[in-house]
Amino acid sequence: MSLTRRDFLKLATFFSSAAALNACAPALRGFANKTPLNLLSAVEFTALNRITFGAKMEERARFAEIGLQAYIEEQLAFESINDLTLGLQLSNFSTLNMSANEIEAITNELFDGYNRRRPIHELRQATFLRQLYSQRQLYEVMVDFWSDHFNIFIEKEPIFYLKTVDDREVIRKHALGNFRDLLWASAHSPAMLTYLDNQANVKGAPNENYARELMELHTLGVNGGYTQNDVMQLARCLTGWSVKKHFWLGEFVFKPKQHADGVKNVLGLAIQESGQHEAEQVIEHLALHPSTAKFICAKLARRFIADNPPQEIIEKAAQAFLATKGDIKSVLRVILFDGLAFAQPKYKRPLNFVLSALRALNAEANGATLFKPLLRMGQLYFNWTTPDGYPDASEAWQGNLMPRWQFAFELIRNEIPKTTCDLNALLDVSPTGSLQSNADTLASLLLGAPLDRLFLNRMLDTIHSTEAAPEETLQIIAASLIASPAFQWR
Amino acid sequence: MLETLPVLQLPTKTWMPRLSFAPKYSAPRGDTLVVIFLRGAADVLNMVVPHGEEAYYQLRPTLGIARPDDSKKMKEQRAVDLDGFFGLHPNMISLLAAWQSKQLAIIHACGAPDESRSHFKSMELMERGIGDERGPASGWIGRHLATLNTGNPSPLRAVSMGDNPQRSLSGGVPVSALRSIADFHLGGDARALQQMRAALNYVYQNDELGQDTLSIMDTLQKLDPANYQSTNPQYPDSDFGLALKQTAMLIKAEVGLEVSAIDLGGWDTHFTQGSLNGIMPNLIKDLADGLAAFHADLTDYMGKLTVVTMSEFGRRAYENGSLGTDHGHGSMMMVLGGNVDGGKVHGQWPGLSAGQLIGPGDLAVTTDYRDVLSEVLLKRLNNPATHEVFPEYQPVMRNIFL
Repeated sequence: MSLTRRDFLKLATFFSSAAALNACAPALRGFANKTPLNLLSAVEFTALNRITFGAKMEERARFAEIGLQAYIEEQLAFESINDLTLGLQLSNFSTLNMSANEIEAITNELFDGYNRRRPIHELRQATFLRQLYSQRQLYEVMVDFWSDHFNIFIEKEPIFYLKTVDDREVIRKHALGNFRDLLWASAHSPAMLTYLDNQANVKGAPNENYARELMELHTLGVNGGYTQNDVMQLARCLTGWSVKKHFWLGEFVFKPKQHADGVKNVLGLAIQESGQHEAEQVIEHLALHPSTAKFICAKLARRFIADNPPQEIIEKAAQAFLATKGDIKSVLRVILFDGLAFAQPKYKRPLNFVLSALRALNAEANGATLFKPLLRMGQLYFNWTTPDGYPDASEAWQGNLMPRWQFAFELIRNEIPKTTCDLNALLDVSPTGSLQSNADTLASLLLGAPLDRLFLNRMLDTIHSTEAAPEETLQIIAASLIASPAFQWR
Repeated sequence: MLETLPVLQLPTKTWMPRLSFAPKYSAPRGDTLVVIFLRGAADVLNMVVPHGEEAYYQLRPTLGIARPDDSKKMKEQRAVDLDGFFGLHPNMISLLAAWQSKQLAIIHACGAPDESRSHFKSMELMERGIGDERGPASGWIGRHLATLNTGNPSPLRAVSMGDNPQRSLSGGVPVSALRSIADFHLGGDARALQQMRAALNYVYQNDELGQDTLSIMDTLQKLDPANYQSTNPQYPDSDFGLALKQTAMLIKAEVGLEVSAIDLGGWDTHFTQGSLNGIMPNLIKDLADGLAAFHADLTDYMGKLTVVTMSEFGRRAYENGSLGTDHGHGSMMMVLGGNVDGGKVHGQWPGLSAGQLIGPGDLAVTTDYRDVLSEVLLKRLNNPATHEVFPEYQPVMRNIFL
């Protein structure tokens, strides 16, 4: 099912044209003494929604001020973006900075007050808070991308005490760094080796699981030119790559006694016997293989541009990948600068849906109380069981509207614990603030533009016919906009 | 042979017209089809055990399931004999009743030609019902629904019991995911519900999926999932058990269900999969007990019901060094229903000896999965369009149905 611009704008008739938008500007004066709402063009609004988890008011203002290119450069230089407030919020989550050994110790039943769920819960909550509050939005979007690419199911035993380190030392450390370093770190990550059973891959008794996914999902892609024999040979190279079970438990270890002897042949390379170095040679080869460049760039293009992105952009990004030896920022510049103009509507994944609603309406949340709705929508953090990661294609997510509708109404009515959405603070609720102008503001925040006047008036009539009080009416409008078809797309 | 259909009590007035395209074929509704996908490549050699093959025990010295007559093992540790050559894993004993009533057929060494041994590629090809990636992007069930007009306007024509609709369902009619019937409502009192419903109906006025979701909500509101009583055997207390139970509920409520797609995941057992206890035996038990409960619950509906299980490929014939099994090739399908030529293991058994295994040591495929599904389409779903559902494939009838 291909989606055209027209599908996206099923509500097109409800939106004002760009020209009419300017005429509507006075309606947005409801923002007096609040942050002014900068109206962006539809293309700009879409672009901003691809590089953030949903545009916040101040992000729109900044974007309008400096423009797309400068905004992206600012986001790419993420280390210079101040994120102190978020840092303070995360300071309570002590497992985030612990080693696997420490996390295991405090979740071990010998530890007084142990709680095996704590590291999982803290990591999920921290990830949510970062996505909601971090000023480094593009960085967090990339963390989300690589968390899918190098997916690890946190509930597989005993990953609950390993994933936190993988998240910190693999994904977050290299999210905007170099792909080769990212892949190298992932291959040496105890969480990954455990998830894909490589600790069980030993001399004389190979286990192909990690070797296969390393080529199929992490680098070359299924059509990238490897064979079943390459899988078996790479598995032999990876024998002995394991995880410590005692003393510094949870650290990477190479066990020479478990390593298969002899020369291995992988992808036409004759790998001489050299222990741990054997697989590392293959990893170096895979990291900068042309098939890898293409596979990674196609995935990025699908994430940022469209389900079926233009082939030329993928080619150009792949060239940048190879020319810079896997520099992720250089690749992203091609994808974003050249690609965003070709952006096609993408159906919001549940995380994008929830976060974009919260961010657009400046809502506050602690995350933990949203795990259940996210689970019902199908996307709780680190909960995808198979190594391919949560699907990216629009089609994979259509067909589960009910939990999204439930969330929309519960959010607006403030029925979700520890989550506040203050419409009054957001809108002008003085007697002069008409329902129409407030509705315009809400639509501009959530959808990027006010609703068509006729559409809005009929909507108000519909709601009035249910005898809703004025305050209820505003809530129903806000919730319906979040629940609406248009808001499911970004 | 088409049976007369019961008149459906459908509150059609709240439903939007559903078919914006004109399906090529018209026929009365056939069976309700339940498709169960065992994701992760189920180790079928430990489910329907070829205990008559010595090679099986050589390949699986640790994981192998003992022969039905192995006096060194306790009875509950041995395969349950089916026909003197094959036997069920002891955790599947609950399916013996369906087998003995001849409503359960097994097609062994069944699968797809693809030899990538990649879960994701194999699942994708299988769900799209195609031989290679150049085929249509829609799913085989989606194309079945799109080619056949059964005169059924229900938004519950096809449902996915889970978080998201399966790929196999795509491209036909909008499909809703139903993780839990009990949770499929908007909450609030009658007045609030009316307000939400009116507003949603308004913003979704041009959106088929949204309208379907509203109608499904209305329909399900009349069911009473909390008090649903199944006749006798209890469904397993698992997502899979719930999915089957909810399917049974919809079938009995006669809300127009034609296809229910259910996933049962977790079969990628590379590591200590377990022989009699452990990950894999637990999954087998969930599957078998669920199907057995479904069969018992719907005894009176079996004449209008076909259940199919499938998996993307099978696992290596020999066990690996970590008491698990790596990716293999040939798999197995089960078909349950009142019109099945059951109590039989269908298909040609290719054998497990050195010269008979393929690739790195895998069970060969002697029956294409599309043969089985084509027969379902033709004989049970009244859909003649097998060439559109499975393009560029010439199915062979394997006589799995009477």
